[in-house]
Amino acid sequence: MTKRPIDPRPEMPTPNDYLWDGSGSPDPETQQLESLLAQFRHSNRPLTALDEISRTHTTSHSSRPSWAPRLAAAAIILIAIVTGLLVSFRSDAPPAVGPGWNVANLEGTPQIGSQSVFSNIPAKKLYVGQTLTTNSSSRAALSANDLGEVQIDPNSRVRLLQVDSDHKRLQLEVGTIHASIWAPPGQFVVDTPSAVAVDLGCAYTLHVAPDGSGIIRTTIGWVGFHLNGRDSFIPAGAMCATRPKVGPGTPYFEDASQSFQDALNAFDQLPESSEPSRSALSTVLAEARSRDALTLWHLLSRTTGTDRENVYATLAWLVPPPSGLTRAGVLALDAHMLDLYWNALDLGDISLWRLFEQNAVPHAAPGTKQMLLKKQSLLNQSR
Amino acid sequence: MTTSAYIHATDDAVVRAAQRGDRTAFGILYSRYARMVHGILLSRVPYTDVDDLLQDVFLQALARVVSLREVSKFPGWLASIARNRANDFHRRAKPHDELTDEATCPDSNSPALPPSPGPHAFTQAHAALDAIRSLPEAYRETLILRLVEGMTGPEIAARTGLTHGSVRVNLHRGMQQLREILAGNATPLTGGEL
Repeated sequence: MTKRPIDPRPEMPTPNDYLWDGSGSPDPETQQLESLLAQFRHSNRPLTALDEISRTHTTSHSSRPSWAPRLAAAAIILIAIVTGLLVSFRSDAPPAVGPGWNVANLEGTPQIGSQSVFSNIPAKKLYVGQTLTTNSSSRAALSANDLGEVQIDPNSRVRLLQVDSDHKRLQLEVGTIHASIWAPPGQFVVDTPSAVAVDLGCAYTLHVAPDGSGIIRTTIGWVGFHLNGRDSFIPAGAMCATRPKVGPGTPYFEDASQSFQDALNAFDQLPESSEPSRSALSTVLAEARSRDALTLWHLLSRTTGTDRENVYATLAWLVPPPSGLTRAGVLALDAHMLDLYWNALDLGDISLWRLFEQNAVPHAAPGTKQMLLKKQSLLNQSR
Repeated sequence: MTTSAYIHATDDAVVRAAQRGDRTAFGILYSRYARMVHGILLSRVPYTDVDDLLQDVFLQALARVVSLREVSKFPGWLASIARNRANDFHRRAKPHDELTDEATCPDSNSPALPPSPGPHAFTQAHAALDAIRSLPEAYRETLILRLVEGMTGPEIAARTGLTHGSVRVNLHRGMQQLREILAGNATPLTGGEL
């Protein structure tokens, strides 16, 4: 809708125009209205999460947190996750207390546990430990002021694992979610059977198939994907697949050539250093554009020997190494040099990921994965 | 980048940074435009729904800002998202769900309500808000930005993309019509002064 003034003729400024800009003698009538209506005014306070962003950035660059708070936070995370999962295993009755996220019915009749979420009940909440399920004709959205919004597509099942001021954790067992997150980087985490997705940016779509494999597509910002010591960073415009027991594959931009994508997919699935694998890698390197430095950077740590040397040579040709970085250091997978090289690609500040790793990953992820696998095993036995 | 790095940045520069996925930049845009969006929504939907819709509007903007080709059009683009979201709200509401502020706000102790100095002032404030909402669209939106959100005419022009002349016309003529409505109101705002 285009907004137009009723009468666009300009009027001349008057010397005493309180209504226009508050100048001149105050007009009592206008002042009275301002005073009455002030109670409806926007609070002028930024959303909590957005307000914290700059603080998070500053923390990540300027100081290292002490061990005690980090260990305490890790312990709390671990206890919360294990408690939530144990509760969910032992009882079908969801605990409708404590922190939760708002649930909106977007279509059909989503369910929280065995309870339906109807469209004319606006105040429904999903609490920690509860599961939200959509069938083939229903969709839902989760939201919170300090989080953003997560839309749940049809045929999906998600469980809320953790909600506090610094950590929000969701488990996507199957289906598709679309996340638009404005919580600070590293706070919103989604567990899947084949990888853990960590929000480092703004918006992404995550799909988990019934066999536990998954795929993520980032639209704004970037997302970290990790499992079993494999990390993949997926910036806007890129995607990445995951496989059960293997973890995240190698990310790539969606506009890469089809032969590049096919070869990369083959490389990810073939035995390392086998002849077919080397052939696929050759195709990837031959087809790579400057933009595909994203993929080549990840391949450095997924190759060995001459394969890694070839990857480095192509990467260095496409994106010259920044100062402070040596060929020998990169080939030895020096962590600091790899971080420098990543930041030179200008796809996201890797210090955000390192901060997340320090605070949460080593403690939370393995336990979560084991519990997920155990639950899947139990489900399979019961069928 | 940190927040301080954007304090003196132009809106265009901040929008470009937000398009690259910089959430600090998006936070700056939120702080600069939240009042405008709040005012646009308040001119169209019940007060109790404004905060939720405000979040929706910025979520939509967050998801779509990357597709905005002319960054200089961000203010009008964001205002359009807010107006469309308010229209969606009315389209989706069932007839019996269409609530007025009076219907939803009889209890001044409710946490969803604005703090109220007393029942009389509460009634007066809602009467004034209703009177503004009864004005033509251009007048009501501009008057709410001025009288409720506390923005000056030049600020309204800068945030909405309207010319100074248009904002001035909307303010003066809107105020004139508002006086006429309030003068004919059976419950004068304050002792019949308005």
